[in-house]
Amino acid sequence: MNAMNFVYGFLVLVAVFIFQTTLTGINRKVTARLQKRYGARWYQQFLDIFKAMRKDSTSHGWVFDFGVIMALGGIMATVIFIPVAGFEAFPGLDNVFVISYLLAVGMLGMAMSAAGSGNPWASIGVARALTNMLAYDIPLMIVIFTMIFAFDSASVGELAAMQQGMGVLGWNAVRMPLGGIVAVIALLGMLGKKPFDSFIAPAEIASGPMVEYGGKHLGFMFILHEFMTFIEVSLILNLFFGGGATIWEYMLKYAVLYTFTTIISGVMPRFKIDQAVKYFYRVPLAMAVVQGLVVIFTGLGVKIWF
Amino acid sequence: MSIAVFLAILIILAAASFFVTAANKKAGGFATVAVSLFALAMVLSMKGSVGGEQSFMYLGFSITTVGWYFSVVMLTAYSMTSFFNPFWMKKMIYPAGYNFLYLVSMAGTIGMFFAGDFITLFIFWETVVWSSAFIIQQGKSRKASYVYYVLSAVGSMATLFAIMLAYSVSGTFVIRDAFTGLAGSPGTALVVFLAFILSGLSKMGIFPFHVWLPEAHGSAPHTFSPVLSGGLVKMGAFIAFLSVTAFPAYEIFGDMLKIMGIPAPIYFLMLLGALSIIIGTLMAIKQEDAKRLLAYSSVANGGYILIGILMLDQVGFAGGMMHLMNHALASAAAFLAIAAVAYRTGTTKMSEMGGMIHRMPVTYLVYLISIISMAGIPPMGGFVSKWLVFQGLADKGLLFIAAAAFFGSIGSFMYVFRPLSAVFLGQLFTRDKDVREVGFFMMFPMVVLTLLTLAAGVFPNIILRVVTEIQKSAGIEPVTLARNTIVTTNGFLDAFRVFIVFGFGFAIAFVLFIVRRKSRKVGLMDTYTSAEFIHTPELLHYSHSFYAPFERLYDKAPDTMNMYKKISAGIAELGGLVEAVFYGGKPAKTIFWIMAAGMVFFLAGGVFR
Repeated sequence: MNAMNFVYGFLVLVAVFIFQTTLTGINRKVTARLQKRYGARWYQQFLDIFKAMRKDSTSHGWVFDFGVIMALGGIMATVIFIPVAGFEAFPGLDNVFVISYLLAVGMLGMAMSAAGSGNPWASIGVARALTNMLAYDIPLMIVIFTMIFAFDSASVGELAAMQQGMGVLGWNAVRMPLGGIVAVIALLGMLGKKPFDSFIAPAEIASGPMVEYGGKHLGFMFILHEFMTFIEVSLILNLFFGGGATIWEYMLKYAVLYTFTTIISGVMPRFKIDQAVKYFYRVPLAMAVVQGLVVIFTGLGVKIWF
Repeated sequence: MSIAVFLAILIILAAASFFVTAANKKAGGFATVAVSLFALAMVLSMKGSVGGEQSFMYLGFSITTVGWYFSVVMLTAYSMTSFFNPFWMKKMIYPAGYNFLYLVSMAGTIGMFFAGDFITLFIFWETVVWSSAFIIQQGKSRKASYVYYVLSAVGSMATLFAIMLAYSVSGTFVIRDAFTGLAGSPGTALVVFLAFILSGLSKMGIFPFHVWLPEAHGSAPHTFSPVLSGGLVKMGAFIAFLSVTAFPAYEIFGDMLKIMGIPAPIYFLMLLGALSIIIGTLMAIKQEDAKRLLAYSSVANGGYILIGILMLDQVGFAGGMMHLMNHALASAAAFLAIAAVAYRTGTTKMSEMGGMIHRMPVTYLVYLISIISMAGIPPMGGFVSKWLVFQGLADKGLLFIAAAAFFGSIGSFMYVFRPLSAVFLGQLFTRDKDVREVGFFMMFPMVVLTLLTLAAGVFPNIILRVVTEIQKSAGIEPVTLARNTIVTTNGFLDAFRVFIVFGFGFAIAFVLFIVRRKSRKVGLMDTYTSAEFIHTPELLHYSHSFYAPFERLYDKAPDTMNMYKKISAGIAELGGLVEAVFYGGKPAKTIFWIMAAGMVFFLAGGVFR
């Protein structure tokens, strides 16, 4: 660990921000076209963020500020750990449990700040967000657990590298088809895309956790959202779709996967939060357990494969 | 100093504290601080004399690394909590008795962890159970202490039975020899194993014995709940440890049916641990009282500890052993933080408080860091130990147990956040406008525990080095440690570097925050309310039935306590029936008929043989 690691880490943050914010802008356009609108320009998301950062803001006490900083800090640290096409700013720290639980620091910071605003809408939103997390994470973690058992590695980078070289047949989403489906559904839940977006539900609970934010606080939340999207999509991409051998391949696959979730989201209605839990604990959980049992007891897809 | 002398001194000091308290309550409280700190210092200094065997009259002691480790965990909880004692004396019914029993139970735990034979173990075990049962009674309800005592007694009697059964086969009470002598008779060994571990399960609050934790933790005096959850529950972990190491369970059950390489009886206990995680989590989510919520979280964490210890391998076992230290630190700190709030507001009900962060910021930070550790989020200690347990489970492919472990881990985000949000965040109630932060003397132990939790997360190898010694003494391969790194077959963890990168991210965010224009401070009531006019902070605080939509999904699930109540009602009914039959007519007549039936039975036996 030396100064270069930190420089790389910083550059990763800048690059990820530019890439993901651009993609968000393009996806806003995709959503607009689905709804037969023209849509804002592709760089509108940048304008929104910079505008928010320049405006005056109000604060509801020190935890409101501290939570925002802790959230963005935790999320940025997690971004630095994500391996992108074989590159890691801090090599060897890409353990899947580290990434998924370090992500939780950021989420806790955000929840803390939102609840610290004193607005009940925010608390309701946080309660829903945490329930949503309990719903999507269990099926996903069972599949990831199976993968760790099968390939004897918990490193995201190594797991991604193992899938390369066989084309599509090497992808875990193909080797473990049920697991792949679970992962994509869980990704929709993670990203808060419809039908699993009840925790931000703008018209119902006034955007939930985001209700009190304005100015630079809101700008922070926008940036945080871009980074969080990157972490979540990258995790699924690396674990189930082979990551990318080159940075271009990675970006292309990433764009396709992310746009796919946007399109699904564009045509879906919204689950109530208890419906989301019921759904995840019926279909994806059953699929994840079946997938786990198949891999652990028969080796089909891992030991038995082309 | 020999253990016997040390224990004798502690008991004499406990008796002295009784008289000091009778003379001056506050001085008595300070006496417990001094005595428990003295005990902690003594035990810490005993690290060098590991390996010694001592005996005193019929008591046998053996100083082992594992006993030392458990004693340190226990005394940390006891000594840190004792700082609260002086300030709570005026709220106690029998302050002198409380201080006396506090120190006696502490001495009892030390005697139990250093026991060399089963008789010593059992005597000190019962000392702790009795003394703590009388302390719990001084809290909110007497019923809690009955529930605690009955479930402890079930475990204790089963363990006594196991000890006697083992003695009848192997002819010795010395811990290791008594169990290894069972190798020849696997049937007896299975009975001994299951009966012996029963007291551990009941103490740890493993399903179906978990009902005493919310009762006892929830209604014990606020100054004793941290000891119960941080300390006494870990006595069960010690019994579980003995059940797989002193009792060579993996060898004796080696020929039995194996599930994923684990002998069936051990796998069955792991499943109980997994069930405890799920039930503890689900129940914690729907509690309205902060102490009961934390008590259920102890049930869930007990499950992790049990699963880790039962794995008896390189990685998962280390995780379980480390988790008991991490949970002790975090849980004691969380209970102390709630006690501090209760000291100022007089309640532990979450819906009766709000916005305490604006009055008690240090207590808030203590609670925050302890729950980060409890939920297993980096950079705190709980993350490292849960990480080890997960790695161990993934290595063995124990899918269902791992699913429960994940459920408990994510579910813990839900329940630990609830007191954070309801008690500390949100609207500050008008009634609590003038509440002050607790004084330095009460803040001190909370801050120490918090710093220890952080240290365990950043430099986990300090604790894990002790764990490797325990692993060596138990005859299993120790977990591989490099300078700052923990290495497992599935990958490695460098907790220090994770912490540094987290700090790096935090620094960038902080700089970004302060270079932007300073924000205007507004009040908590100055929020978006969808055009309603609300002027009462209490009405703008979301805390009751926090996870209502989720709770609805399982509110019809059967309750274990009701099951016990049904059993007890059934027994009472049976007793009533027997009584009615026996005393219904003339007792002499009943005895006549019993004897007659007996004689017919014997005669019939003679005919049909």
